[in-house]
Amino acid sequence: MSDRKPYLELKRISKRYGGVSALTEVDFSVYPGEIQAVLGENGAGKSTLIKIASGVTDPTEGEVFIEGRPVRFKSPTEAMRAGVVCVFQELSLLPEMTVADNLSIVDPPKWLGMIDAKGQRDRARALLKRVGCEDVHPLELVRNLPLSRRQMVEIAKALGRDPRILILDEATSALTADDVERVYGIIRDLKKSGVGILYVSHRMREIEALADTATVFRNGRKIETFTKGARSVDAIIEMMIGREVTHQYPPKPEPLDAKAEAGKPVALAAANLAWGREIQGVSFNLRKGEIVGLGGLDGQGQRELLLALFGVLKGVSGTVAVDGKPISLDGPRQAMHAPLPMALIPEDRKTEGLMLPMSVRDNMTLAALPRLLGRFGIDGDKENAAVQRMVDRLRVKTPNLDAPVSALSGGNQQKVVLAKWLMTAPGIILLNDPTRGIDVGTKQEIYRLMRELANQGAAILFYSTDYAELIGCCDRVLVVYDGKIRRELAGEALNERNLLQSALNIDASEQAA
Amino acid sequence: MTGVDTGAARGPTLAARLGIDRSVTIAFGCILLILCGGALYSREFLSPEYLLQQLQVGAFLGIIASGAMMVILLGHIDLSIPWVVTLGAMMATAMVGWGGAAGVWLCIPFGVFCGAVVGVLNGLGVAYLRLPSMIFTLGMNAVVQGLMVLHTGGFAPLDQATPAMHFMAVQRSLFGIPNAVFVWALVGIFVIYVLKRTAFGRAVYAVGNRESAAYLSGVNTNRVLIGCFAFSGAMAAFAGVLLAGYSNKAYQNMGDAYLLPAIAAVVLGGTNILGGRGNYLGTIAGVILITLLQSILSVMQMPEAGRQVIYGCVIIAMLLIYGRGAKARS
Repeated sequence: MSDRKPYLELKRISKRYGGVSALTEVDFSVYPGEIQAVLGENGAGKSTLIKIASGVTDPTEGEVFIEGRPVRFKSPTEAMRAGVVCVFQELSLLPEMTVADNLSIVDPPKWLGMIDAKGQRDRARALLKRVGCEDVHPLELVRNLPLSRRQMVEIAKALGRDPRILILDEATSALTADDVERVYGIIRDLKKSGVGILYVSHRMREIEALADTATVFRNGRKIETFTKGARSVDAIIEMMIGREVTHQYPPKPEPLDAKAEAGKPVALAAANLAWGREIQGVSFNLRKGEIVGLGGLDGQGQRELLLALFGVLKGVSGTVAVDGKPISLDGPRQAMHAPLPMALIPEDRKTEGLMLPMSVRDNMTLAALPRLLGRFGIDGDKENAAVQRMVDRLRVKTPNLDAPVSALSGGNQQKVVLAKWLMTAPGIILLNDPTRGIDVGTKQEIYRLMRELANQGAAILFYSTDYAELIGCCDRVLVVYDGKIRRELAGEALNERNLLQSALNIDASEQAA
Repeated sequence: MTGVDTGAARGPTLAARLGIDRSVTIAFGCILLILCGGALYSREFLSPEYLLQQLQVGAFLGIIASGAMMVILLGHIDLSIPWVVTLGAMMATAMVGWGGAAGVWLCIPFGVFCGAVVGVLNGLGVAYLRLPSMIFTLGMNAVVQGLMVLHTGGFAPLDQATPAMHFMAVQRSLFGIPNAVFVWALVGIFVIYVLKRTAFGRAVYAVGNRESAAYLSGVNTNRVLIGCFAFSGAMAAFAGVLLAGYSNKAYQNMGDAYLLPAIAAVVLGGTNILGGRGNYLGTIAGVILITLLQSILSVMQMPEAGRQVIYGCVIIAMLLIYGRGAKARS
């Protein structure tokens, strides 16, 4: 490849969000006619790389070159003009407009300064034919299309911009098997015509089928670029995990043998839970005093599972029994009054966990106010005492109880969310990625708190995108892939290699072959 | 952050605990300003008689604003106020004819009840149909208007207010203070109690700040929405009943003059129009401010058109001051 020049080249690119480094001194290039796979765990820096390449964000440091000339993209449109086109994971189509309008949204064909509707339709028809979607009418509204068709329209839209570099970010995750084959065909055609392709996917098999080269990222750094076949799947996984000193975790209780394990009372039993595409028949038991992790790649249905158990999702099928009694999944209030009170620490503390402008006190007691009533409504002294106890117990750093939570640091805000639920004395605690964006010290406090609560008899279901955290905290981990539990890991088997393998849905047996 | 350390142990100041914040201070400051300005024009403006009269007129607005405030705290708005005021007045006076001897006793509760029913319908639409309150309540306003025109045949009804309504709205029984002011005070105490001391009140602020977080915390958000809209409807109708007592009869469009002043009073008092922040003290200040402004402009014999222009400009100017303050703080 040394005889050719890369079309797109990134030199010593770094990106920081606040104090957090998303990318550190990355050199990266894509050649014409090359299919390059980008690999890495959640948060390894893949998305940030793509955003920089396609002009969505600026790098903090470093330079971007197109055919050897330095460029500075101010917007995705500028990147597109330079030939770098991206198909994003989140669909970028406008649902209330027609397919034809969407396909020509940036540069519609014009006639006397007005949009040439017929030209636009013809163009749409040609592009749809190219992606094999002749069944989609150009004048259909995008919102009427099923998700897989929308994804194909998205790809057609990218093709319509005559890319020199096409970036596909998890572009096949919503597609049917037939469409995936068609996308492969399109990619190979593009390759032949000299287009460079950057391909992000969590599906190892897809990468093996398509890629010429692969680059592995970890913790915001590029680890290695290699040609296909130069590294075994095993070695690739090793590279993705790396060897790092992990956080300190509180000691776990001795794992019980199967018989003793089965004798522990079941706090929550879920059977055949299903909801849309996201949850496809999930059954498991959660015992008292145990911390069970939900593992797997981001967005495989773990979040939906927690929301379903808490009654937030409508139309969930299957049964859930708490303390042996079936419960209805009607809403958070019902979940809070289940035989063992349930609590959910939501994913986004700023929009789902807290009322930011309200005081620490008001936030903490919102879920437990019925316990704090005196003869004339809310008993102020009782309330303050209860809040002060929680502030002391969780060591929340706040100027006073009346300070708005918005004034607190992320870690302390999360402690307020935890305190709110501890006030309701929950028997079952659902945690949705509670340590995201939190400093290490607070993380450790949260780990200790979790173990303490489990030792007092609470049952904890813990979703995290951080594998090290799952291994360090959980008694066992359920690995979720595509809405189903694929594997349960416990004891010795609970290690990064197994977690990552089952997260990528690679069977150990298959790999040995 | 160095200055915070000393404040940490002391907790909030007395002013903060009473709810005296920036906007409340500004509103009361403007009240004083208007009074002083008026006094330069005529000594009459500082006479107790004039001030009591203003309080009496303001009481009607204050009762309406109490309900409007609960809805605005949620981040919603009740645009059905004008015709719910009229509804309350017409239903109460009509009840006298319908109910005979019992009607004399039932007329006030019945008028308030009708307003509450409209409010519950508003709440149901916003909570369960998830329609924007601005559209839904506007539609309800038109529906109630139609029903009232149907009821009266488009003419001013001949029904008379009862002595009880007259007593509450016009007469003075204690220290020469108008009874209407006491009625407003009772409503105010009720609102303050609900907002400060009940779980419902806490939930109102929670929903106004972030409905999703309140829902995930187990708050019955739909009940909160319906409750506040019902209260707003009931208070608008109650004010209508009192207004009927004040002018001795109900008439078409009697509520039209109250929508903008009620919302303006709440917002000038520092309640965030997007919900989640505000206290009743501010609403009291806002109501008095609006009432005095209207009165002084009319006493100065400003023509109606000019009055409207100045009135509108003052509201926009004050909101600008608040808006800038809020931005500077954050």
